[in-house]
Amino acid sequence: MPPQANVPLPPGYQLDEYRIERQLSLGGFSIVYLAFDKEDTPVAIKEYLPNSLALRSQGDALPSIAEENVATFRYGMKCFFEEGRALAKISHPNVVRVQNFFRANETVYMVMHYERGRTLQEHIQKHKGEIRESFIRAIFARLLNGLREVHTHKLLHLDIKPSNIYLRNDGTPVLIDFGAARQTLSLDTPLLKPMYTPGFAAPEQYNNTRRELLGPWTDIYSVGASMYACMAAAAPQAADQRLERDQLAAAVKRWPEKYSKQLLETVDWCMRLNYLERPQSVFALQKALADKARSVPRPTFLGGLRKRVRDLIK
Amino acid sequence: MKFTIYQESRPGKRPTNEDRIAYSYSRESLLMVVADGMGGHLHGEVAAQIAVQYITEAFQREAHPLLKDPFLFLSGALNNAHHAILDYAADRFLPEAPRTTCVACIVQDSIAYWAHAGDSRLYAIRGGRVLGVTRDHSRVQRMVEDGLITAEAAVHHPARNRIFSCLGGTNAPQVDFSKKTPLMTGDVILLCTDGVWGPLPSDVIPRAMSTGNVLQATPALLNQAEARGGENADNLSMIAIRWEDNYAEDTIGSVSTKTMPIDSFTTQMEAFAKARKGTQPLPNLSDEDIERAIQEINAAIRKYSK
Repeated sequence: MPPQANVPLPPGYQLDEYRIERQLSLGGFSIVYLAFDKEDTPVAIKEYLPNSLALRSQGDALPSIAEENVATFRYGMKCFFEEGRALAKISHPNVVRVQNFFRANETVYMVMHYERGRTLQEHIQKHKGEIRESFIRAIFARLLNGLREVHTHKLLHLDIKPSNIYLRNDGTPVLIDFGAARQTLSLDTPLLKPMYTPGFAAPEQYNNTRRELLGPWTDIYSVGASMYACMAAAAPQAADQRLERDQLAAAVKRWPEKYSKQLLETVDWCMRLNYLERPQSVFALQKALADKARSVPRPTFLGGLRKRVRDLIK
Repeated sequence: MKFTIYQESRPGKRPTNEDRIAYSYSRESLLMVVADGMGGHLHGEVAAQIAVQYITEAFQREAHPLLKDPFLFLSGALNNAHHAILDYAADRFLPEAPRTTCVACIVQDSIAYWAHAGDSRLYAIRGGRVLGVTRDHSRVQRMVEDGLITAEAAVHHPARNRIFSCLGGTNAPQVDFSKKTPLMTGDVILLCTDGVWGPLPSDVIPRAMSTGNVLQATPALLNQAEARGGENADNLSMIAIRWEDNYAEDTIGSVSTKTMPIDSFTTQMEAFAKARKGTQPLPNLSDEDIERAIQEINAAIRKYSK
């Protein structure tokens, strides 16, 4: 039986010192609410509630957790704590800010700064095919500042996609939803499968046995795919399908009239299937985005050969 | 380096014993080797003798007192033994080179390394449970593993003694290597020929070794296997050690790098696969743990908020 969806807490529900306004989003792992604190300041509250382990029925606040799932439910809490712990240390204008963490209803809650605006996903839907180069460069240059801060804290986001990039009303981006971040714990808890979004997840994320291949380049693939989505107004072909039969048209070939060659090459560079061929750090990518004149280094014949030999040895 | 060792070889009900076994150790390195000369081929015992002798001599040449790279040593020793057998056959104009199985194990720095060709086996046993075992180079055994035939059917399968890798013979051997296996006090490493493991149900060997008393358990196992082998009992040979040092004791904090296998990718995958089966209970997160985590996070939030 596929897991059922969880019922959110009702509007007006008093949760600790916060009053629930409405549900913002519902995922397999958690529910996010819009709520107001004592000063009537809006906040986003994320509730840990994996629907494969804990189900809340209509009219109840407490979820029911089957006896055999209690240990896994608590273990999964650790992932949630990891997210909180990592985010707590990051205070950056382009990364969602955590304000509080508390326990209630037999589960745990993370309170985040509520941003007014819309997701990049909504923006793409609204402006299909009309997104300009200056917009892409401006949004992603700032977003990468935030991502760099995230990576500095030895954390990978692992679920960057347009719907996790929030655009404030003033146009600045905020990276949200670190629910997939540092999913190392899911390795030995099959009930909590790693999450990834087809089209935006890097190829190495599909191979659950090779977690050691994940790195800054993994988030960079997703950044490239998000830029690609801005241009295409749709998600690019999923990486696992690309590994089998790569049908993704290079950005350079698809939009030569619309965007500068340098930007298109940067997008293609980020989306290389081989992680070694992508920008290896956010800094390298930022440099490419800032330097409009410089073109992306192509793999040399000798470099390609060296890489193939290295792969063989592996 | 501290260990208890026992080895014994018996002809069973056969007229000749074509098994050869040996061990050798320096101050800091231990070698064990078992070879089962193939009876169907002429001079099976010669092939086994060459293999065991060659590998032991190589060990004595190179372990001063440690081997530089145990896997490299095993790879070189088994392949060179193969060529030594071929040379022997060529010198004497034998129509066909004699053949032998071979399993060899090195233990040094409380880490075990092993390699094999054919169907002589190595078991690594901890607390009565199999930590690692070689995979026979036998199509019948692979069919059992793949669930194509039952273990019972395999016992009577006409091709049960056919193996696809050995030293000697026309084809170069396919030598399989273990991963680096750190040993703890009480761990048992056991090498044996198919005359021992063949007649015994699969759980008997690890259970017999659960006490770790190799001096008693080894002859007892040989008795049992020989009795079960009946009128036609094959040659039986076995070397077993009980390791008395503790890998973890002198290497706290550096375990992860030290246990890195030669091919870190493959072996890490195995480690994950094991973890996924998830038989071990999850560490329990108590109420205090949760409270502590929340306090910690809130402290960090306050500290980093401006």
